[in-house]
Amino acid sequence: MNKKLLISFVFVCVLVFQSFAQDRTISGKVTSSEDGTELPGVSVSIKGTTRGTTTATNGTYKINVPANATLIFSFVGFSSQNISVGSQTVVNAKLTSNIEELSEVVVTALGIEKSKRELNYATQTVKGSDISQKGEPNVLNALQGKIAGVQIVGASGEAGASTNINIRGISSFTGSNQPLFIVDGIPISNDLDRTNGGPNGTLGGPQSSNRALDIAPENIESIDVLKGPAAAALYGSRASSGAIIITTKAGKGGNFNRKMEVTVNSSYTVQNVYGYPELQNDYGQGLTTIFNPASLNSWGPKFGTTPTIANGLLLADGNTRKNPDGTDYQYQAYPNNVNNFFKQGTILNNSVNLQGGNGTQSYSMLVSNTGQKGIIPGSEFNRTNISFGGNTTLANKIKFGGTFNYTLTDQNNFLTGNNSSAPAVLSSLPRSYDLQGLPNTDLSGKSIYITTADNPYWSINNNKTTSSVDRITGNLNLSYDITPWVSVNYRLGLDTYTDRRKQIFAIGAARLPTGGIFEDIYYRSEINSDLIFRFKKDKLFSENINFTGLLGYNVNQRKFQNVSAYGGGLTLPNYYNINNATTYTSANGATGESNSLRRLIGYYGQVSLDYKKYLFLELTGRLDQSSTLPVANNSFFYYSGSLGLSLTDAFNIKSDVFSFGKLRVSYARVGKDADPYLLNSVYTTTAQGNNVSSISFPINGQAGFSIGTRIGSGDNLTPEFTTAYEIGANIGLFKNRLNLDLAAYQTISTNQILNVTVAATTGYRTRTTNIGKLTNKGIEATLGYKVLSGRAFTWTLSANYTLNRNNVDEIGAGIKAFNIPGSSFIGSAPSIVEGRPYGVILGNMRARNPDGKFIVNPQTGLWIAAIPNQEIANPNPDAIIGISNTFGYKGVGLSFLFDSQQGGQFVSFTLASLKGSGALKETAIDREKPRVIDGVFLNADGSYTPNNIQIDAQNYFNQGLQTDLNVYGATVYRLRELTLSYQLPKNLLAKLPFGGVSLSFSGRNLFFYAPNSLIDPELNTQGAGNIRGLELQSSPNTRNFSANLRLTF
Amino acid sequence: MKFNIKNILYISTVAIGLIAAGCKSDFLNVNNTPNNPLTVPPTALMTTLAYDAAFVNSNDLGRITSVLMQYQAGVGNQVAGYDSYNIRGNSDNQWNGELYAGLLINAQKMIDNTQATSPAYAGIAKIYKAYGFGLTTDLWGDIPYSEALKGTSILNPKLDTQKDIYLGTPSVQSLFDLVKEGLADLDKKSTLNPGTDDVVYKGNLANWKRLGNTLLLRFAIIISRVQPERAKTEIAAVLASSAGLIVDNTQDFQVGFSTAAGGQNPIYAFNFVNRPDDQFLSQRFRDTLLDYKDPRISKFFTLPSGTTYVAWNNGTTGTLPLPPTRSRYGVFLTGATGEAPIRMITNFQRAFMLAEAALSLNTAGDAQKLYEEGIRASMLKTGLVTAEIDAYFKANSNVITLTGTTSQKINQILTQKWIANCGNGLEAYNDWRRWGFPRLEKALNATGGDDNTIPVRFPYTGNEQLSNPNIPTPGPKTFERIWWDID
Repeated sequence: MNKKLLISFVFVCVLVFQSFAQDRTISGKVTSSEDGTELPGVSVSIKGTTRGTTTATNGTYKINVPANATLIFSFVGFSSQNISVGSQTVVNAKLTSNIEELSEVVVTALGIEKSKRELNYATQTVKGSDISQKGEPNVLNALQGKIAGVQIVGASGEAGASTNINIRGISSFTGSNQPLFIVDGIPISNDLDRTNGGPNGTLGGPQSSNRALDIAPENIESIDVLKGPAAAALYGSRASSGAIIITTKAGKGGNFNRKMEVTVNSSYTVQNVYGYPELQNDYGQGLTTIFNPASLNSWGPKFGTTPTIANGLLLADGNTRKNPDGTDYQYQAYPNNVNNFFKQGTILNNSVNLQGGNGTQSYSMLVSNTGQKGIIPGSEFNRTNISFGGNTTLANKIKFGGTFNYTLTDQNNFLTGNNSSAPAVLSSLPRSYDLQGLPNTDLSGKSIYITTADNPYWSINNNKTTSSVDRITGNLNLSYDITPWVSVNYRLGLDTYTDRRKQIFAIGAARLPTGGIFEDIYYRSEINSDLIFRFKKDKLFSENINFTGLLGYNVNQRKFQNVSAYGGGLTLPNYYNINNATTYTSANGATGESNSLRRLIGYYGQVSLDYKKYLFLELTGRLDQSSTLPVANNSFFYYSGSLGLSLTDAFNIKSDVFSFGKLRVSYARVGKDADPYLLNSVYTTTAQGNNVSSISFPINGQAGFSIGTRIGSGDNLTPEFTTAYEIGANIGLFKNRLNLDLAAYQTISTNQILNVTVAATTGYRTRTTNIGKLTNKGIEATLGYKVLSGRAFTWTLSANYTLNRNNVDEIGAGIKAFNIPGSSFIGSAPSIVEGRPYGVILGNMRARNPDGKFIVNPQTGLWIAAIPNQEIANPNPDAIIGISNTFGYKGVGLSFLFDSQQGGQFVSFTLASLKGSGALKETAIDREKPRVIDGVFLNADGSYTPNNIQIDAQNYFNQGLQTDLNVYGATVYRLRELTLSYQLPKNLLAKLPFGGVSLSFSGRNLFFYAPNSLIDPELNTQGAGNIRGLELQSSPNTRNFSANLRLTF
Repeated sequence: MKFNIKNILYISTVAIGLIAAGCKSDFLNVNNTPNNPLTVPPTALMTTLAYDAAFVNSNDLGRITSVLMQYQAGVGNQVAGYDSYNIRGNSDNQWNGELYAGLLINAQKMIDNTQATSPAYAGIAKIYKAYGFGLTTDLWGDIPYSEALKGTSILNPKLDTQKDIYLGTPSVQSLFDLVKEGLADLDKKSTLNPGTDDVVYKGNLANWKRLGNTLLLRFAIIISRVQPERAKTEIAAVLASSAGLIVDNTQDFQVGFSTAAGGQNPIYAFNFVNRPDDQFLSQRFRDTLLDYKDPRISKFFTLPSGTTYVAWNNGTTGTLPLPPTRSRYGVFLTGATGEAPIRMITNFQRAFMLAEAALSLNTAGDAQKLYEEGIRASMLKTGLVTAEIDAYFKANSNVITLTGTTSQKINQILTQKWIANCGNGLEAYNDWRRWGFPRLEKALNATGGDDNTIPVRFPYTGNEQLSNPNIPTPGPKTFERIWWDID
């Protein structure tokens, strides 16, 4: 180890003091061969080295070159050009436009930029302009419909709600299946922490954010999505679910030469509720067509019915009913009592971005603020970002750069979920209840409502949750060209944040009548260090072979702490300091702390070879040592290989039709370590019970511990492995105006590290072990078609298609199924079931005969008891499609994005509740007509006779909560985005102080059609994570309109 | 930025620091959890066992059986379902968290940790374990027993028949032998001895022996219909034991709770904090007590206003009385704010059991005397004073005098035991299944269960069926009787 240290030290010394004397300076100008315009931003590099620069705004450049250098001029949209310097001191270049050439540069693992032509695996790039100014503060939502192979589902329309993203399906049973997020070369946290307070725990908490939400979309230069493990092998384990590589404006790097440019972005968005089910307005409060002021149902008499004692509209003594204020009670519909609860949400975003440079130094700065007032009064999301970035080349040729980002994210929230939350109460609000007109709070500050459930207004005004995140991310970069073919780069990254949460249950809250305060602080910190040697040698061994390679050394440390305190029995109302509590409980970790520390050391390497620029081979390997594995066996090796063949180059095909064709194949195997602290069995503080009654220690000052419910793995734990095979093709037709990228893959995940459920009769609930096998197979296609590319009018069509089939091949040792850990209810639990796709929901299935008819109770005409633990829903989509069209005419642009999910199912608590309480529109259609369940009676001899018992609508629609009758199809067709933009022409700008002015209007979620659902199927109450397909009564979705202005000075 | 050797050196130092950090030998040795202890002293498990036992007795299993035995009428949420005999799919948490991965495994851990050095702890743990397994088999019939609680060594424990669990085989230790082994441990020399950590008897091992003997009596009574001879032998043995039985209310096996949230007994937490609207007094229990002019009704249930106990006929549909006007569990069972003890095995139970045995098995003792002793012990327990009890006995000789056939007398004993056990539905549920006493009408409108009658067993839980292939699926119906329930 000391030897390694010494070598490192020597290396750093060499790096600092070594210098080269034989270089000389070349300058020149780069212009377009077509119209002679100066081309800024053209990359000028010295062939055979990693050195280079870019041209300034006037197209000029300066560069130090060694003798006999050849300069490569390359620029997106133009053919690159090689010019031998010889003895010249001025080298000018004229580049020829070649828009259709497939030379797009993508960022791959470890920030290596590659042209798409060289890549042997699927990636996709999204430009910053495609995600900012879309009226969508969550960058993940802004990616929806734009990337093949990726499924993105938002939790709801609530301000700051999280978003789930899965790339190529799900590969880990219980670990994170979110991709790794890399910002400017360093991994950052996209964790989702749930606030656990109150008796409903996470089931009833607010919708917390996933931490990628801290990234301001307007700070993003580009996003590259690496889909398979092949693309991500060099990032190590965490990239086995893919990687989202974000390059920020501040972190873009490069020493450009440009006067300071100031960009000001402003946008204003309005949000309106969209996708809430339609409600009926014909029948009011009551049951069995009798008015009942204590009922939470709308099965009362029809509006306009003559009041009688029998129908309850007159009191038993024959008098008219009175309101609390003494006026006559009017039995009438309040058609907007639910809709008016939601208000119009707004999002105001402002940002200022400064960029400039002088060729050897550059800087960038961004200040951005997004303020959102959600559709539920009092729900807010506010994010402020401050970023700095800079690059400089020191006198001794060391390039030095760094970025610093500070983010402050505040979220003010309310309770959601099944028990007494505002959205839950709304879903059984009687249609004749004047929610807006009647008081919601009494003089003592308690809720006024029909029952002990919280009035929705009282609930959102009193039971609040806040989250305040202070986050710093930053990196430092040092790089140095040791020789023309070896460079070294050191990168140090930091991501740390503290999320201070507070959840309040006011005195009188239905869930916690004595009130409670839950303080919850999350701290995360990740330090990542990479030392990378890069090698580049053209004509290695032979004229025709070019080589690049790298060797790297990675040290990563992640720290986590959650400290929480829970105090109940508040003494004073409206005083929410935890010292106002009379009891402090540690039940279910409500008061306590949880810490973790994990470290990883990785050694990795990559070799890329190309033969005559048409055959590309890439090999990677990585050895990780992880602190979370048994010490004696803590290292593991994994690797990847890929091969690509450019057919058009190899066979010298020159065709205007078949312009480019490449076939590629790759294989990768990625290892993944465990979570910390899984090796040992532990004791835990004793706690028993759930939300209906519970105990937790200490009791009467007496401590109590229990053996934990998990059996530690001992020293037998080994890493998880995912093996991936991918074949693909890139096809360019019609001079590359039409590009098609196809990929087919199979990933097999084995040896899952799992806290696998064991029969409780073993004395435990889970054991940690390596178990199971999960496969994903899929097809992805992206199509880009420049339908028209004339100078005046352009039309670009792009489309993507995603198909993924997931299967749980095997769980292990007698286990056929278990529930996915997380926040779901027993009775409708997303589960892992052998032979089925990941996450099917096990719930109560109505009994059917072999012909699929419901079995009906011959006494009641109702369904017989449901069978528990049956698969009632499969949340996995059959396919996802996105199609976007972009039209341009002079400065005017119009684009729209249409996307669709085909197939998939979800369980809707909102619909179940609206149905059961008679509020849903469907329940009023022919309400007085009797219903007969389409079912059969089971006769004593085993035969079936058709059901002929008539039941009323109230009984018919009382279909329970967690049954197959509340499962809906998630197929949806959606107009996701529509943007109209206008760029002020240059001649107008001449008179203004601006370098550019663009104005755009965009709409999001403008229209959807869900043929098999009465509610927007894109609701996933538990948000980012492995629990999918449950709509558990949260905010509805929104339709957004925004106006955006961008000024450049 | 100008070239600055200091800056470069500083950055280099940071870089080297990180590289060097990676080289330190203990850099990766950070996988010992700071969140939980890896070992705990027996005192910490001791307190847990008491509360685990009390919790399982009085939480959902207690609620279900209290509704089935018509102490309470269920009118909201899950409890309303219980009153419709819909108990399938409800007891996963009890089977998993309260019994096997709660009381039972903690008892087993205590035995493993202390058998060699401090058998006083192991002996007490065996009594808890026997109580827990007895309770489990009484509800579910055949259960994993001899192969249970073995962690990864037996991942799919097989079912033992209830008969084998009670009577034992060469490979299955009977519950009787488990208790006897525990009693023997209590006589051994022990390095550590329980004290305040034993919230039941404060380390008084003599009382633990009384409990052990009373538990043996209880097991014998439970199997007395199917195995009268064995029951007789066991009862004769405990009556002869020098350690004695629970013979005084102060020796009751009960666990006190606290007034603070998190330490409140489940009866209070459920009925007065979390689910106040879900259940209240059953009309059958009220009418019985009013008919017997039994003063204990005011101890067991609240009198919301006036002089009428507001009860509900189990299963009735119709407009419910408003929650504040309902009679709910009283202070005897809840305490002022949840501190009342959960009473599991008591002096009055002992008296009633011996009374029953004297009649049905001809064991020693005078049934009438023991019957009176049971009523008196229960009344004293609820807080009535001797004068009040004497007055009641004087005025209600029809109630306190056993008359008629043996069966009629046993009906009287078990009806009084039912009254006395209010709050402990599990005991009443056992007695009712053994003898059918007290006679209970089916709840109105019952549509649950497998034939709409009062379930006589609990269906196996879904989680266990999914994770243990030895559990039959779909499993026995709720009307299929368990082994000791012969009629």
